[in-house]
Amino acid sequence: MSDARSDILARIRHASACLPEAEVKLALSRLGAGPSATLPHPDLAIAFLTNVLKNQGTVDIASSRSEAVVVIGKYLYEHHRSRKLVAGNDARLAALPWRDAGLLPRFGEAESGELAALSYAVAGIAETGSIVTCTGRNNPAANNLLPEDHIVIVALDDLVERYDEALDALQSQRPRGINVISGPSGTADIAMHMVHGAHGPRRWHVVLLGHVPADCVEHAQALAGLANERQAEPLPDA
Amino acid sequence: MTISSNDFIAQSVVALQEAERLRTRKELGKHMPALRTRAVEEFGDFEGLREHVANVRQHALDNLDYYLPQFEQQAIDNGNQVHYARTGAELNDLVLSICQRHNARKIAKGKSMVTEETELNHHLERAGLEVVETDLGEYIIQQAGETPSHIVGPALHKPEAEIRELFLDKHPLGPRELEDPPAMVEEARSVLREHFLSADVGIVGANALIAENGYSLLVTNEGNGDLCANLPNILIVCTTMERVLPRARDAAALVRLLTRSTTGQSISCYTSYYSGPRRQDDIDGPLETHYVLLDNKRSDILASDYKDMLQCMRCGACLNHCPVYIGAGGHAYGSVYQGPMGSVLTPLLSSLEESHTLPSACTTCGRCAEVCPANIPLPDLLRDLRHDESRSKLGSGRWRVSMKLHAWVSQHPRLYQLLTGLGVRTLHRMGRRRGGFSRLPFASGWTQERDFPAPQKDTFMHQYRKQAAQDE
Repeated sequence: MSDARSDILARIRHASACLPEAEVKLALSRLGAGPSATLPHPDLAIAFLTNVLKNQGTVDIASSRSEAVVVIGKYLYEHHRSRKLVAGNDARLAALPWRDAGLLPRFGEAESGELAALSYAVAGIAETGSIVTCTGRNNPAANNLLPEDHIVIVALDDLVERYDEALDALQSQRPRGINVISGPSGTADIAMHMVHGAHGPRRWHVVLLGHVPADCVEHAQALAGLANERQAEPLPDA
Repeated sequence: MTISSNDFIAQSVVALQEAERLRTRKELGKHMPALRTRAVEEFGDFEGLREHVANVRQHALDNLDYYLPQFEQQAIDNGNQVHYARTGAELNDLVLSICQRHNARKIAKGKSMVTEETELNHHLERAGLEVVETDLGEYIIQQAGETPSHIVGPALHKPEAEIRELFLDKHPLGPRELEDPPAMVEEARSVLREHFLSADVGIVGANALIAENGYSLLVTNEGNGDLCANLPNILIVCTTMERVLPRARDAAALVRLLTRSTTGQSISCYTSYYSGPRRQDDIDGPLETHYVLLDNKRSDILASDYKDMLQCMRCGACLNHCPVYIGAGGHAYGSVYQGPMGSVLTPLLSSLEESHTLPSACTTCGRCAEVCPANIPLPDLLRDLRHDESRSKLGSGRWRVSMKLHAWVSQHPRLYQLLTGLGVRTLHRMGRRRGGFSRLPFASGWTQERDFPAPQKDTFMHQYRKQAAQDE
């Protein structure tokens, strides 16, 4: 009896055209990339924020790194009355001015029961309102999955329009895992009721870092069909 | 693959009498199509996308002899072990031997239709392993000892109250309310979290395999698949060979189409690409990873006239849009694959002898083909299967004789017109007063649910001739 591999491959060859490689490659190159989704707004940042909101995420914008840590501190205080945070060993995260917000993250892998983890996305995708992280020291997969809240910084310069652009950009790096995240963990498996926090984070918060117009969040909220979010609570002394 | 598809009629009769479940299915049949429609409208050029993906997948299937070995080589270069299984039994044995080699006790499983098909859980459990389904829907039916009723939402047939009772019974957590779905999800989350953290092996399926880089695509909303793929030391990806796509960008195009068709989302919450075991500097990820690629008659389908069926991406849109599925429910199909796609796939993966009633569980309304993201001509394939059924003389004797009689009469136009004219005039006269019939001989099943309207006085052909004569 021949082995399963050669058996199956022989059957497939029998059913295939068995074209020479050059012809297969030529036919593939003619296929292109296909259409992508219409953006909700021509401005990449507004389109991205709109789709993040549609994906049940929440958003903040920060024009500087120091502002980014302040909004993160505010978010943590609002949801957890806490300053605790875990972040991957990402040089960009280590270099943030944490003292400005009175925060000091633990750098490493998230454990079960962790309140919040922070990731620095390698890309943000406007088409889908997603952020992209790669597994490894910079962002262990557990950091995306185990904490109650997942907070993600995306640099304005790292926004791309199309989903496949983000994947193509990672082709040369070939990380072990590429995680495209588009919302808090959700399930509708009980009688079609949507519940967040199925296995992963209950909340997903995206901080867009860069010089964007201050009103782009309001713009995105309107496009996503959301009323203005309630005023955030005032900051504690930070 | 154990099936009870030839009991479709008896099983659907039972399902139609379960009022609450029928109501739930009707709700699903409205809700899910509405979500899909909105997502399709928002996308823009959805038809262009559908055509593009169909072309790519056609190209991939036509040249599977090129892409499957390419994927295999890339996957091996990424550090994976690649195995092939001709049958479900071979897949089950391969998975068990990997688990046993590592002395595994507990397995955390992501949603995988392929392992439903091969009944992997039973096989592993018989060998003394603990298998935990982690997709909430799969977990619910596993606890209840049931089979999936929908390829995407396996537990959607269960009302909230039944799931509450199930959790109260199965989770030894003392008296508690579990008043609403969030409370139940919370409980399942904490129970399953412990399993994720203590599992020795993770098993997941794959929505696609990417030939150019050896990655697999995993699409979930709960994040359970990612926990299975990252936390345990051993990862086994169980999938089938027709999932191979040439490029990473093709996987992106597939996702655009898949999630809109499944849940109306523009993308699922977690869309992940995994290449293999952890690297030297990594602090996370499995130490050893395996691909088990199942054939189970797919190479036969590839060489057959049913090849288009291999383009199916398991989105569930055809189920959500099928009046027969909504009426009869998933369990009536007696297979892990239900609805229109199940009625095509089940006979092809098992045998027509065991499932020849399924191709007839179709009104040929065509909604499935309209919404199928893979452009599969499902009603045509079902009709072709009915031909095969007829050629293999599988239907009941009474059914086959009446079909023969019908065929013979239709081939004799004068006789056909005479008989139909007679029938129509008789029915017209008999039903004139009430306008319809609440009972008809040979059709009591049909008239049980609705009245049969009394026909007009004459047949179409008769009226057509009369009109033509007048026009002259």
